[in-house]
Amino acid sequence: MSSTSSGGGSSQTPAVELHGITKRFPGVVANHDIDITVAPGTVHAIVGENGAGKSTLMKTLYGMHRPDEGTIHVKGQEVRFHSPSDAIRHGIGMVHQHFMLADNLTVLENVVLGAERRHGIGRRARAEIQRLSAQYGLGVDPDRLMEDLGVGDRQRVEILKVLYRGAETIILDEPTAVLVPQEVDELFDNLRELKREGLTVIFISHKLDEVLSVADDITVIRRGTTVATADPGTTTARELATLMVGGELPVPELRESTVTDHVVLSLDGITVRSPEGRPVVDEVSVDIHRGEIVGIAGVEGNGQSELIEAIMGMRHLASGRILLEGQDITGWSTLRIREAGVGYIPEDRHRHGVLLESPLWENRILGHQTKAPSVRGPWINRVGARADSERIVAEYDVRTPNIDVIADALSGGNQQKFIIGREMSGQPRFLVAAHPTRGVDVGAQSAIWEQLREARAAGLAVLLISADLDELIGMSDTIHVILRGRLVAEADPTTVTPEQLGSAMTGAGLRAGGGSTESDSGAEGTDRADEDGGES
Amino acid sequence: MTTSDNRRPLPGPAAFTIAVLLGTGVTFALDMALLWWAALIIGVTAAFAFVAVTHNRVPPERRVAAAGTEERGTALHNTLVVPTALVLSVVAGLLSAWLLDLSLIEPVAAVVGAVVGSALTFLLFHRLSALLALSFAAVFAAGLIAIAVTALVLLFSGIDPMSTFGRMLEYGTRPDSMVQIINDSTTYYLAAVAVAIGFKMKLFNIGVDGQYRLAALLSAAVGGYLILPPPFSQLVMIVVAVAVGGAWAGIAGYLKVARGVSEVISTIMLNAIATGITAYLLSTDRLAVQISTNNIGTPPLPESSWVPGIPALFLGSDREIFGLVFLAVAVGVGYSVMLNRTRFGFELRATGQSQSAAEASGINVKKMVFLSMLFSGMVAGLVGLPQLLGSAHYYALDFPTGIGFIGIAIALLGRNHPVGIVFASLFWSFLTQAANILPFDNIPQEIAVIAQATIVLTVVVVYEVVHRWGRRYQQQQIGKQLGATTVTAEPVGAAPTSGGAGETGPKTDGERGGEAQ
Repeated sequence: MSSTSSGGGSSQTPAVELHGITKRFPGVVANHDIDITVAPGTVHAIVGENGAGKSTLMKTLYGMHRPDEGTIHVKGQEVRFHSPSDAIRHGIGMVHQHFMLADNLTVLENVVLGAERRHGIGRRARAEIQRLSAQYGLGVDPDRLMEDLGVGDRQRVEILKVLYRGAETIILDEPTAVLVPQEVDELFDNLRELKREGLTVIFISHKLDEVLSVADDITVIRRGTTVATADPGTTTARELATLMVGGELPVPELRESTVTDHVVLSLDGITVRSPEGRPVVDEVSVDIHRGEIVGIAGVEGNGQSELIEAIMGMRHLASGRILLEGQDITGWSTLRIREAGVGYIPEDRHRHGVLLESPLWENRILGHQTKAPSVRGPWINRVGARADSERIVAEYDVRTPNIDVIADALSGGNQQKFIIGREMSGQPRFLVAAHPTRGVDVGAQSAIWEQLREARAAGLAVLLISADLDELIGMSDTIHVILRGRLVAEADPTTVTPEQLGSAMTGAGLRAGGGSTESDSGAEGTDRADEDGGES
Repeated sequence: MTTSDNRRPLPGPAAFTIAVLLGTGVTFALDMALLWWAALIIGVTAAFAFVAVTHNRVPPERRVAAAGTEERGTALHNTLVVPTALVLSVVAGLLSAWLLDLSLIEPVAAVVGAVVGSALTFLLFHRLSALLALSFAAVFAAGLIAIAVTALVLLFSGIDPMSTFGRMLEYGTRPDSMVQIINDSTTYYLAAVAVAIGFKMKLFNIGVDGQYRLAALLSAAVGGYLILPPPFSQLVMIVVAVAVGGAWAGIAGYLKVARGVSEVISTIMLNAIATGITAYLLSTDRLAVQISTNNIGTPPLPESSWVPGIPALFLGSDREIFGLVFLAVAVGVGYSVMLNRTRFGFELRATGQSQSAAEASGINVKKMVFLSMLFSGMVAGLVGLPQLLGSAHYYALDFPTGIGFIGIAIALLGRNHPVGIVFASLFWSFLTQAANILPFDNIPQEIAVIAQATIVLTVVVVYEVVHRWGRRYQQQQIGKQLGATTVTAEPVGAAPTSGGAGETGPKTDGERGGEAQ
C-alpha cells in the first residue's frame, strides 16, 4: 500500500495528475502533451473517438509502458511506474475491457490469484471479499464458479479484484461496451457507491450519454491530446461530440457527383446472427451504385463488422441475398468473392490485412493469390509480384526503403497505403473500406482520401465504414446510420451535420435538416427479442 | 597477384577474383613450410583482410534478407557481421579441405579449401546481412553453452571433459562413422521435414513416429509378399509408405478440422494405436515370418527390390551410403520449392503467420490445416524407407523406433529451414555416433543425449531472443533511414493542439498538404 496516510488532505491534492504526457511508437505519436487532473472521490470520464489515444494513455498510467515525456503524480507525489504492480502499489488499479478471469475457478480463487500474500487463500481472504462486497454493494458471492456468472457479475468481480489489491483509484476501460442497458445502470450504481466510499474512478468511454449521467468531470481527448475539460452539468452530448470529433478537422469534399444508376452491389434484406442466435445484422438492404461511396455511420459494435464480414463471405447469412452486378454471390467463399472483383480494406489491418513478418512483396500476394501478376498457375510469380509491389509503392507513396522490408517495419499509415494500393489493383468493381484512415497520420490520411476519390471517379462502388463522422460526411454520396444491426436512417451528406448524425447513431433519430428516415424508424430498434428476426 | 590497385572504384567481380587468388596463393605457398591447416587459415585470413581493406571501393551489394537497409559501417555490422564472416569462411575452408583430403592428395585439398574459403570471404563480407549473421552467432552461442553444460556434467562425474570431447571428435570423424552419420541423418532429415511442414502451419505433428512405423511395416509387407520387377517394386513400396503415412496423419487432420480436436492429443493417441496395430500385425499368424530364432519380421525383400547403396570410397570407407539419400535430397528440394515458390506454400506460410489474415484473404484455413497434416504424414511415411530398402530389408521387432521424436528436436534445431535441417540432422547423428566410443572408455554414453537436449533448448531460446532483438534493430534502422516520416509525424500530431478546441477548419487544409510532402 501507499505510504501516504489514507484520508489526509484529500480535498486538496488530486488523486492522479498527469502532466505533459507524450508517448511515441515507431512512426506515430499516440499521445502528446496530455494534461489531466483527477480530483479524489470523483468519477472522472475520459472520452474520445476510437484511436484517439485513450487506451494508450491509460496503459501509461497503469504502468504497462512508460511515457517518453511528462510526469505522473499520485496524491501529490511524483511516481514512475515500471510495471502494473508498481501502479497497484500506489493504489491504482485497472479493469480491462476484456475480462481477465479464469472460468473454471471460483470468484474467491480468481480474486486471490496473484495476490495470495495479501490475505492468504482461505478463510481470511473469503472474509475480506465479503467485507469489500458488502462495503461497496457489489453483491459478489466468493464461492460461485466463474463460468456461472453473467457479464455484469464478472465485471463486478473484476472491480472487486482491483479493490482487494488495495486500489484507491480505479481505471475502467470502456466498461459498458459489453453490458446491456440494465447492467449499465447497475454498474453506475456501483460506481456511485465507490465514489461515496471515497474512491476515485477513471472512466473511459465514447458513449456520451453514459458519460454525462455518471461523471463528475470530463476530459476530451482527440488525436492523442487533451482538447478540453467539461462539466457534465452544463455540457450537452452534442457539444461533447463536437469536441471529440473536432469541427476543425477538414475533410476534402467530393467535388461532383459521379453516381450512376448502375447498381454494383445490392444487399437484399441480409441478416446475420451471433452464435447465440441474436441478430447482429438485421434486415439490411442497400444498393451501391457505380461511382458511389455509401457511408455507414454508427457507434462501434452495432453490426458494422458483421456486415462487412458477411459481404466478404466470412460469415454466414441467416437470410437475405447479396448481388454483385445482378449475380447472386450469397454463400460464395471469400476467395471467390475477391476473384469476382471485390476489394477489401479491413478494419483491423494487423489481424486481417497484412502478414507482419513477411516482406512487402509477399504481402502484395495476400488476398490476390490466385490472380496475375502474383501467380502463374500454381506457382508464385516472384518477378510479377515484385514489379507490381514497386508500382504500388511508387503510385501510392508508400514510404519504405524497398519492397523486401517486412510489413511490421512500416508505420501504420504506410501499411495502410500499401493495402489500399493492393486492393485497388486488378480493377475491382466494388470496395469495402472499413476505417480506411484509422490510426493513420494526417498526411497519409489525405492521400488515402484522394485515392478513394479517384477510384470513385473511375467508377468504383465503395462501402465506407468509419467512426470519423467528418470523414463520412466528406467522402460519402449517401450515409446510412446503423444502430443495433439495423439501418435506421439515411442522411444526405451535403446537409447533415456531425451532431445530427451523432444523435441518430445513439437512437435519437435525425433532427430536422437531415435526411428522411427510413422505413423502420430508429427508436424501435431498441428492444428486439429473438423472435424479431425469426420470420426470414 | 599484386593488390596495388588504388583509389579507383573496384568492380565487384574483380575484387572477388583478387581475393580468391590471394587466399589460394598464400595457402599454396605456405603449405610448403607449414601444416596444411595453418597455411589455409593464414591464406583465408589474408583474403579476408584484402576484402576488408578494399570494401569501400566495391559498390554495395544486395544483402540476403537485409531488407535493403544500408548496413555497411553500422556498429552492428562492424562488431558482428565482420567477425562472423571471417569465422564462417575459415571454418568452411577448413571443412572442405579436410573432406577433400580423404580422397585427394593433401596439397590439392588444401588449395581447393583455400579457394572455397577465400570466395566465401568476399561473398559473406558483402552479402551477409546482420539478421543472418545474428542467427549464425546465436547458433554458435547456443553450441558453446551446450558444450559448457556437458563439460560441467562430465566434471561433476569426475571425468575429464577435454579428453572425452577429443575421443568423440576422433571417433566421429572416422570414415566408417561418417558413413553411419550420413545414413542416420538421411532418416532424421525426412522425419524433421515432416515435422517442419506442420510447424510452418503452427501444427504440432507429434505423430510422425507412429506414422513412419506403420508406413514402414505395411510397405515392407507389400514388398515382401508382392514380388515385382526392379523399379516397380521400389516404387510401389514408396507409394504405399506415403499413402499409409498420409492416411494416418490425415485422421488427425480430419479430427482437427471437423471436430476441433487438438492435433497434439490426437497424434499422441494415434502413436499409441499405431504401436498396437504394428504389434498385432507383426505376428507369425499374420504378416510376419520367423527371421531368426528370436526375431520375427516381414518376409525379407528379394535383392531385386533393394535400393543399392553408394560406395563411400571417397570418404575412405568400404561401407555404403543409403541410395535413398537422394530421396531425402529430393524431399528437401521439394519442401523448399513448395514453401517458397508455390501458391500452396504461400498459403501455408500465411495461415501459419496469421490465421485471421489468411481467412480475410480468401484462404480456406480448414483445408490448409488438413492438407498440411496430410503432407506432413506423407513425408513421415518415407522415414523408414532408407533403412528398409537400404540395409534392413525387412520390418522386424528390432526396427528403429523413436525417430519421429528426434525429428521434432531436429526441426526445432534447424528452425524448419530446409538447409538448416540438413546441418541439424548431421550434427545430431554426429553426436549419437561419436558417443558410441565412450562405453569403451567407461564414460556414460548418455553424455551425448545431454548435449543434444541442451543444444535444442539453448538454440530455441537464444535464437528466439536474438531474432526478436534483430527485428527491433532492423525496424530502428528503417526508421532512421526514413527519418523524414518519423519527424513529420510530430508536427502533424501537434497541429490540432495549436488549433485548440472548436476552431474552424479549412485553414489547416493547406498545412496538411504541405506536411504530406
